[in-house]
Amino acid sequence: MSAPFYKYGLFGDEMSLILAAVIGIGFGFFLERAGFGSSKKLVAQFYFTDMAVFKVMFSAIVTAMLGLFYLSWAGLVDLSMVFVPPTYWLPQLVGGLVLGFGFIIGGYCPGTSLVGVATGRLDALAFCGGVFGGIFAYGEAYPAIASFVKSTPMDRITLDEWLGVSMGAIVFAVVLVAVLGFWGATTVERKLARREVEASV
Amino acid sequence: MTTAREPAPYMNPYLAGLGLGLVLLTAFVLMGRGLGASGAFSTIVAVGVDALAPAHATGNDFYLGYLENGFGGPFKSFLMFEVIGVLIGGFISGALAGRVRRTVERGPRMSAPGRIAFAIFGGALMGFGAKLAGGCTSGQGLSGGAVLGLGSWTFMLMVFVGGYAGAYFMRRQWK
Amino acid sequence: MKSVDPREWSINQKLALVALSLGAFALLGSPTPGGAVTLNTQELAAIVESEVDHVTAEELAEWIAEGRSDYRLLDVRDADSYAEYHIPSAEPVTMRELNDYPLFRSEKIVLYSDGGIHSAQAWFLLRARGFAGSTILLGGLHAWMDDVLFPDLSADASLDQVASVERRRALSELFGGKPRSGSADAEPAKAKLPTVAPPAAVSVPKRRKRPHKEGC
Repeated sequence: MSAPFYKYGLFGDEMSLILAAVIGIGFGFFLERAGFGSSKKLVAQFYFTDMAVFKVMFSAIVTAMLGLFYLSWAGLVDLSMVFVPPTYWLPQLVGGLVLGFGFIIGGYCPGTSLVGVATGRLDALAFCGGVFGGIFAYGEAYPAIASFVKSTPMDRITLDEWLGVSMGAIVFAVVLVAVLGFWGATTVERKLARREVEASV
Repeated sequence: MTTAREPAPYMNPYLAGLGLGLVLLTAFVLMGRGLGASGAFSTIVAVGVDALAPAHATGNDFYLGYLENGFGGPFKSFLMFEVIGVLIGGFISGALAGRVRRTVERGPRMSAPGRIAFAIFGGALMGFGAKLAGGCTSGQGLSGGAVLGLGSWTFMLMVFVGGYAGAYFMRRQWK
Repeated sequence: MKSVDPREWSINQKLALVALSLGAFALLGSPTPGGAVTLNTQELAAIVESEVDHVTAEELAEWIAEGRSDYRLLDVRDADSYAEYHIPSAEPVTMRELNDYPLFRSEKIVLYSDGGIHSAQAWFLLRARGFAGSTILLGGLHAWMDDVLFPDLSADASLDQVASVERRRALSELFGGKPRSGSADAEPAKAKLPTVAPPAAVSVPKRRKRPHKEGC
């Protein structure tokens, strides 16, 4: 058991920054491969015409989740050292909703807007400017809303801990929901495509 | 980089997701943390505020958190380096596929200035929402989702709810 | 129309099958979220007996004075006590918080409490979770007061001890304490504890106030 390598001191801070850039290159590469440098491709998710956002996101989650699960089962990764974003339930619920609105209005999310900028999309550049503005507004509002931001704290809590079931059960449930979701998404896409063909005839 | 050649089709979404998932897993195994994006934006905002009004920035816990981060300076942090990589990786993939093109993406009924205005407004909502939730689709959704964080899954569900709820009102922009 | 022959399946169907199989097999697995550390009580006992898990107050004072930053100093008392006085550069961590406190397994960790009981219990908790670099400040804050802040330097010093006496006096003053001399000087009253902020002369190593951000 010696992973996460950084937290077991296998390499230092400087090396971690180099690795961060390499990891980022991989991240940006696959986002662009998936078509996420295009706002039209991204928002098609919300019109049921192209569910790539859901498919890519959940394939990635399933892959990383299964990888972590089996690596920790094999005793190679120390899960307690892997960062889990702390849960502040209510602010995250509201934040997710606001972010969802921002997604459909702006056409990107912060990560994909960078890929959009890298591939010449000017709307992505404008979106980035908007993100800076939004974060600045948040920063200025922070003293006033800090008590809400820190409300309903539940610390580091995972779905299995919350439901009181084994991690394996949640892993299986996530995979099952994802695969059923993929099948459902593809079915909806095909139906809409057929309807559009019929409408254009 | 305007190329005459037809842009290549996008990758199979499941294979792209598999690739993305392996990158994410690599981050977990090497660093013990996932990916992110909005944190880098926040760092730049915090440094900007600090440059213009240092006392104001250090008196605000939110800015201070980013200013104190990093190995000797806020820019020497994981997310800043990762985000530079994202720009490079995105460009490499786009260039290889002939998809790098200066354009404003918009629906058939939308003007370019109108699209830019919506992009700025949407970006602002995104920035605010991401900070409220403690991360964006990358940090909270993807990374927090893979480690089964309760708040991350709540967040992800609400992103889709917000997106679908707003889609009807935004159809003039996209359809 | 799905074929029964897996060789004719599309790549998507194959991926789905692999994912579902791995997911189903996960039902049988139970990775210990706390990290699979096997607790060797014999080994722990040996460590305790050999007392290699200790740092004396004077050693710690030297470390701080030298500006070393290759260790973490954790104050495991409650928040009020911490606010009243703490050793410079210490991070406040209550026993309850210790379980979730971001520490690296490879780090040298020095724990202290008032005496030695809480820190010893914290030491065990950390050791049990595989933090092999955990050590205890011997005698806790009491020893810090007696040996560093208010050392008894009255004993007749032989020649070779003079240097060490001088060093201890310097350290005491560095941390805002006052050496005792002779039995005439009674035990220092609690009120004499230096203020939390160390005197300007001490160049306390700049310590991260909070751990590095891991979220966005």
